[in-house]
Amino acid sequence: MAPRPAHSWRWLLANFLKREVSSRYTGSVGGIFWALANPLVQLALYAFVFGVLLRAPADSLGGWRFPAFLAIALWPWLMFGDSVKRAMDCIPANTSLIRKVAFPHELLIVAAVGGTFFIHLLGWAAVLVALRLWGEPVSFAGLLLALPLLVAQFAFTLGVGAFLAALQVVLRDVEQAVGLALTVVFYATPIVYPLALIPAPYRDWLALNPLAYVVTRYRDLLSGAGGWQAGDLGVIVASLLTLAAGLWVFRRLSPWFEDLL
Amino acid sequence: MSDVLARLEGVGKDYPLLATGASRARMLVSLLAGRGATSHATALDGIDLEIRRGDAVGIVGENGAGKSTLLKIIAGVVKPSRGTAVTNGRVGALLELGSGFHPDYTGRENIYLSSALLGLSRRETEDKVEAIVSFADIGAHIDEPIKHYSSGMVVRLGFAVATALSPDLLITDEVLAVGDESFQKKCMRWLERYLGGGGTLLLVSHSMYHVQTLCRRALWIHQGRPRLDGTAFDVAREYLTYHEEKTRIARVAAPTAVSGTQPRLEKIWLERASGEATATFALGEDIVLRGIALEPDDRTPALLFGIVRADGTPVYGSLSIDAGYAATRLAERRYAFAVRFPAAPLLPGKYEIRAHVLEPEGLRLFDTIETAFVVTGETRDFGLVRLAHEWIPGREAP
Repeated sequence: MAPRPAHSWRWLLANFLKREVSSRYTGSVGGIFWALANPLVQLALYAFVFGVLLRAPADSLGGWRFPAFLAIALWPWLMFGDSVKRAMDCIPANTSLIRKVAFPHELLIVAAVGGTFFIHLLGWAAVLVALRLWGEPVSFAGLLLALPLLVAQFAFTLGVGAFLAALQVVLRDVEQAVGLALTVVFYATPIVYPLALIPAPYRDWLALNPLAYVVTRYRDLLSGAGGWQAGDLGVIVASLLTLAAGLWVFRRLSPWFEDLL
Repeated sequence: MSDVLARLEGVGKDYPLLATGASRARMLVSLLAGRGATSHATALDGIDLEIRRGDAVGIVGENGAGKSTLLKIIAGVVKPSRGTAVTNGRVGALLELGSGFHPDYTGRENIYLSSALLGLSRRETEDKVEAIVSFADIGAHIDEPIKHYSSGMVVRLGFAVATALSPDLLITDEVLAVGDESFQKKCMRWLERYLGGGGTLLLVSHSMYHVQTLCRRALWIHQGRPRLDGTAFDVAREYLTYHEEKTRIARVAAPTAVSGTQPRLEKIWLERASGEATATFALGEDIVLRGIALEPDDRTPALLFGIVRADGTPVYGSLSIDAGYAATRLAERRYAFAVRFPAAPLLPGKYEIRAHVLEPEGLRLFDTIETAFVVTGETRDFGLVRLAHEWIPGREAP
């Protein structure tokens, strides 16, 4: 294939993105409603189990009521977890294209992750507005401050998604393993519980989880408390490195997709 | 832009054998280390091919010979394991059915997707959508998902898309075989116009008629290797001959045991009109069959010749005594005979000629010898022989 300037692929990416967003809910009457309903039900369940039954101590929640505390971290978690699943699905789902047309396969990953982020960003924004109306101290200036971290999370997710999607084409086991791993990571991230509840030795381990760092930071920034920290830069750099590594592996393996699918 | 649209040098392709989990793991390590695939089955090897602007090249070969793999390498979908494959310009590929359609998209969405894949801008595509829809001519189905299409409809849409996007190099894999008669004609007309306008075509087909009509050059791939690269006519002929021989049923009459007391044939050979012995004749050349027969009673034997195509289809045969012919006595019990076919009307292909010797009354057949020969030449006639004919002015039905 003759090399083509990158911009000539932009429309193809737009096409994939549009499809990624619309395909999730086409054929359903509820349409985009399900994009919100699914996380809302999760929110209600977790809020009941961890906020009412198990009763997280109110003084460890950083000034949030439990549903707000949960919601601020739940949507960013979905942006990650859902994107990874979609990224892993998109290569097999597009086998017919990969086997017949030459195009940069990473566009599929970018569309899967980008589309998922888009949907959950909409949901997050709607929920944040609702929380504000409910009287929670949601700071929209804080949301702007959180943007670089959100971009870093996107880069990190893209890197992980590309890595796992490519790996999965060669090793079918990856899909099973990732399903398990995502559940572990969900509970290893302080989403349904505050970090303060974790005993010290375990808390150090959690610090290795970049998602634990970002969801905690989202809560801080959205409460309007403080600005950027040095750690933010570290996470941004680490995310970009993850992206570079993920894309490197993806590009190493993607020319062989046709052989392996 | 360069005049060479595709150049393949020593291209080979191995497909990985991934039966076990361990082999997949080894493969992963090897690919990440940049060493390429591990254990493999060779699908293609040693292919050299150059396609220049305006060329029309046919690729022929049996099922599984590697034709589709070759097209995929040129289309950039498959990475060759060996050798280099370079392409220039916009390559439009119709591989198998459909040119990279997504089964869940509607026909119309696939038009946009395909043109985005080919690198067209949104505006360029929008200008062409109506032309594509009308060429495909599949009515209201255009807004249904492709997965509900019949294979014929997918091909119609695929061809319509590939043609409307005016690629520099058009690659088609067995596309013409799927559409119905009228769509095939439409495609042929379009392809002829495309080629007439300087377009470049790479065609895989099992139809030698299509290869000969559309292509000037052809490459025959046999078990992943190039077997013959030449003019479309030569390759088509050799390829058909190969198939004729493969499906041939031995119909040669088992010769009766030859003994010193029965008539037999010593040898036969073929000559040109000039007397030069040969086994290759040009279309329309004189063919002379000569032979030596032995008759133990020293009586003039009866002779029979028969011409069959390489697959065993009889073309023609005749008995010497019906023509009142007597072989020339060379010595005691030794007779020479010859048959001349003036301006032999056999069409290009591979044939066998058989001579039989019978006792003088022509009732019992004793011995058979056969020899193969080839008729070469270029013609679009089909069948076995060229029948004398003329095209004359027409008139209204009475």
